Amino acid sequence: MRIPFRVVFEQRGETPRRLSFLVPLASVFAALFFGALFLLATGYSPIGTYTNMFRDGFASFNGITDTLALSTVLICTGISAAFAFQMNLYNIGGEGQLYLGLIGGAWAGIALGDHLPTLIMVPVVLLCGALAGAAWIFVPAFVRSRLGTSEIVSTLLLTYIAASLIKHVIYTPGSFFRNPNTSFPQGRMVADSASLESFGSSRLYPTFFVALIIAGALYWVVKRTEFGYRINVISDSPRAAHYAGINARRTTVWVMLISGALSGLAGAMLIVGPYGKIEPSIITLGYGYAGIVVAALARNNLGLIIVSGILFSGLRVGGNNLQVTTDTPIHIGVMLQGAILLFALGGEAFRRYHIHVVRTHDASSKKAPA
Amino acid sequence: MSNTSHEVAQGPHHNSGAASTALSAHSIDKKFPGVLANDSVDFDVRAGEVHTLLGENGAGKSTLAAVLCGLYQPDAGYLMRNGKRINLSSPRAGLQHGIAMVHQHFRLVERFTVSENVILGSRDLPFKLNRREINEKVAAVAESYGLPIDPDATVGDLSVGQRQRVEIVKALYQGAEILLLDEPTAVLVPSEVEKLFENVHAMTAAGKSIVFISHKLGEVVEISDRVTVLRNGRVTGHVSGRGTTDTKELARLMVGRDIELNAQRATHAIGHEVLQIRNLSLSIDDVAVLTDISFNVHAGEMVGVAGVAGNGQRELADTIAGLISPTSGSVGISGAMTTDCGPVQAREVGLAYVPEDRLGMGLVPSMSILDNLLLTRDRKLVVDRVSVRPEASRLIEQFEIKANGPDHLARKLSGGNAQKVLLARELSGGRSATKLLVVCSPTRGLDVGAIETVRRLLNDARSAGQAILLISEDLDEVLSLSDRVLVLYRGSVVHETPGETAQLSQVGAAMAGLAAEGRS
Repeated sequence: MRIPFRVVFEQRGETPRRLSFLVPLASVFAALFFGALFLLATGYSPIGTYTNMFRDGFASFNGITDTLALSTVLICTGISAAFAFQMNLYNIGGEGQLYLGLIGGAWAGIALGDHLPTLIMVPVVLLCGALAGAAWIFVPAFVRSRLGTSEIVSTLLLTYIAASLIKHVIYTPGSFFRNPNTSFPQGRMVADSASLESFGSSRLYPTFFVALIIAGALYWVVKRTEFGYRINVISDSPRAAHYAGINARRTTVWVMLISGALSGLAGAMLIVGPYGKIEPSIITLGYGYAGIVVAALARNNLGLIIVSGILFSGLRVGGNNLQVTTDTPIHIGVMLQGAILLFALGGEAFRRYHIHVVRTHDASSKKAPA
Repeated sequence: MSNTSHEVAQGPHHNSGAASTALSAHSIDKKFPGVLANDSVDFDVRAGEVHTLLGENGAGKSTLAAVLCGLYQPDAGYLMRNGKRINLSSPRAGLQHGIAMVHQHFRLVERFTVSENVILGSRDLPFKLNRREINEKVAAVAESYGLPIDPDATVGDLSVGQRQRVEIVKALYQGAEILLLDEPTAVLVPSEVEKLFENVHAMTAAGKSIVFISHKLGEVVEISDRVTVLRNGRVTGHVSGRGTTDTKELARLMVGRDIELNAQRATHAIGHEVLQIRNLSLSIDDVAVLTDISFNVHAGEMVGVAGVAGNGQRELADTIAGLISPTSGSVGISGAMTTDCGPVQAREVGLAYVPEDRLGMGLVPSMSILDNLLLTRDRKLVVDRVSVRPEASRLIEQFEIKANGPDHLARKLSGGNAQKVLLARELSGGRSATKLLVVCSPTRGLDVGAIETVRRLLNDARSAGQAILLISEDLDEVLSLSDRVLVLYRGSVVHETPGETAQLSQVGAAMAGLAAEGRS
C-alpha cells in the first residue's frame, strides 16, 4: 500500500523574522501541552502544577533569588560551551573543568590562609579556579589543534577522571582538601576572606554580577576584537582563514582554553559563594552538562546565554520545588525540563525548513512498469 | 502529437513525421526559495536529434534537465513520453522511461572498475556477478557507439574525457533512449570535445535523443539540430537548423542585449619584472604536483595560464600566494623573496590573490562586505570598522556592486557581485598597494554581464601597471586577454606563446599533453 502523501522539507533561504520569535514561544507551549498530558494521566492538575512551578521558579522572593543563584553557575558553563561551540569546537567536558575549578579555587582559598583582604582573595580564588579549568582542557586543546583528535571524546573522558579526582581529594584520609576535624568525609572550609556574603536572606551571591559582566565582555570580544574576528572567520570557513594567513591552530587552542577557564570559573564561584569548600555531591548535579543545554537553547549566541541561563535555572528551581511544596514527584519536573528542551530544539526544524505536505499523485503511473 | 497547442508558438515544428516527439515538457514551473527557476517552460526532444538548452548560469537549464530526468518534481506542468503522460518520482523512474542524465560532476566510484561502475545501481543483478559476461556486454554497448573503453580499467586511473565516456556508457547500458548531457564540454580539452561530438552523432544516428546543455555558443551551433534558449527561467526563443544559426542572435536571446565579450588587448608599455618564479617544484604526499616551473610576470603584463583542471593550477596559485611552501625553487615578488613567508608577508610586498573559490576561501560567506574587506588587511586589536566603512561604501559604488550597503552579507550576493567584492578588495590593496594580482577562473559561473565587467576590471588593472597572472580553464578567456600564454600540463609548463599570435589548435594540443615543440 502506498501512502498518498509525503512530507517535504524545503530549506529556507531566509528565516522570516517573526519565526525566530514565534518558534521558541510555540515550542514552550507545545512542551507544556505535552507535559499536561502526562500530568493528567498521572492524576495531577496541569494548571496547578504549572502555577506552582512558575511561582517557585520566578514569582516569589526565594524562587527568583534561587533561580538567579543557580543561573550564576549555568551562565558561566553556558558561555563556556557556547564560546567553543560557535567555533565548532565541541567541549562537552565543561562538567569536569567545573570540578577542577572547585579544586583549584578551594586550593587557593585554603592554602593562602586568612591573610589577604576579601577584595583580593576572592578574585585570586576565582582566577585559580579558572586556571585549573583551563589546565584540564589543555591536552585536549593541544592534540585537537595539532592532530585533529576529537575534542568531544577527550573532554568527555577527562570528566570521569575529574569526578574521580573530586572523590579522591575528599574521601582520602589526610587529604589537603578534606576537613581534618570531622571523621565524616567532607571538604575543608576555605579562609573567611575567600567567602562572600549572600544578599540578605537569599542564597544569591555577588558572583551573579561577575557572570553577567563576563558574558557581556565575551560578547564584546567576539563582536568587536581581532580575536573575535578570527573566531568568526575560522568557524565559518577554515579555508578563508588559511587564505588570509590566520593561524587557526593557535586560535583553536585559545578558544578551548578560555572555554575551560569559564567552566573552571563556575566551580570557583561555588567556592566563594554557597559551598565554601569542595562539596562532593557536585558530581551528581550536572551543572557543566546543563551548560551545554543552556548554550543549545541560546543557539550558541553569547548575547542570549543570560536569558536562556535564567530561564533554564527557573525551570529547574521550580521543578525541584514541586516535590517540596506539593506532592508532585520530582520526576515530573525533570520530565518537563526535558520536554521543553526537546521541543525547543525540535522547533529549529521549523525555523530552518519550510515544511509542507504534498499529495503524491500517481494516477498516471498506475500501470506497473515492466 | 496531440499537444502541440501547449508548445511555444515560435517553435519550429516540421510535421514531416520523420521523427516523433520522444519526450516533451509542458508548462513546467519549478520554484526554489526566492527564485522561480522554471517559469512555464515548454520543451520537447525528438528521436534522433540533438536539442540544446542554452542559457547563462542560473537561467534554469539545469533545473529543467533535473525535472526531465526525474531528479526534481515540477511544481506545475507535466511530462509526456511518446505521447503518454508520465510522472517521474525519482531518477530511477526516469531511467525506467529511458531517460538518463550525465551530470557535469561525474558520479563514479573511483576505486571501482569501469564495468563495476556501469552496473552500479542496476537492479536484478544475480548474487554472484558473472564479470566476464558483464564486461562483454559493457564493451559491446560502448563499441556500438564508438566509445571504446576498457571495462576492467579502474575509473580512478582514467582521464576526465574517459570518465565522461563511462557515464555515457552507463546511461546507454541502462537502456537510455534520451540522454541529458549537462555541460559535457566544460571539463574537456578541444580534441576531447571533438571526440564527444562524434559519439553524439553516433548516438543520434542510432535513434537516441540528446538534450545538450551548454552556455558555449560556438559548440552549440556546431552540434545542435534545434536550440531552446532560456533566460531567467523562461524560454526566450527557439532556433533550428544545424550550422545555420547566428551566434550573435543566440547571444542576444541568451542575455537580452547585444554584448561584446572579446575584451581588447590594450596597447601599453610592459615594465620591470614583478613576479619571478625560479625552478618551482612541489610534491604533495610524494606526488609531484608542480615540476620545475620558471617564468616572470612584468608590470603591466597579463600572463595567462591555460590548462585542463587539475594540472597544478590551483597549487601554483596557492604557492605564489604563500599558502603552500614549495618543495624546491623560489618565488619572488617585487624583488622580495616570498617563498615560505606565508600569505601575510606576501601581501605586504604587493600580492593580491583572487582564488577560484570565491565564497569559502576568498570571502567569508556569513560576514558582511565590510568585514570581508578587512579579511586581508591589518586589523587592529579592536577591529576598527568605523574608519573602513566609508571606503567600503565607495568601493561598492565604484565597482557597481549590487548590495544594500557595507553590511550586506557576502553569502547573499550573486556570483558576479561576490566576485566584484573580491576584486574590489584585492585591487584596492590592503597591507600595501597591489603590484601583483593572481586571479583564478575569474569569470567562472558568472553571467555574461558580470563577465564583461570582470574582464574590464582586469584590463584596467593591467593598464594601471599591475602585473597579472590569469589562471583559467576557460581557454577563450586566456587567449583573448593575455599578453603571453603558458600551458600547464601535469604540473609543467609545456608551451609558451605570445597572446596575440596564439593558435587555438596548438594551445589545445598542449593542454592535452601533445606539445610537440618545447618552450620558445
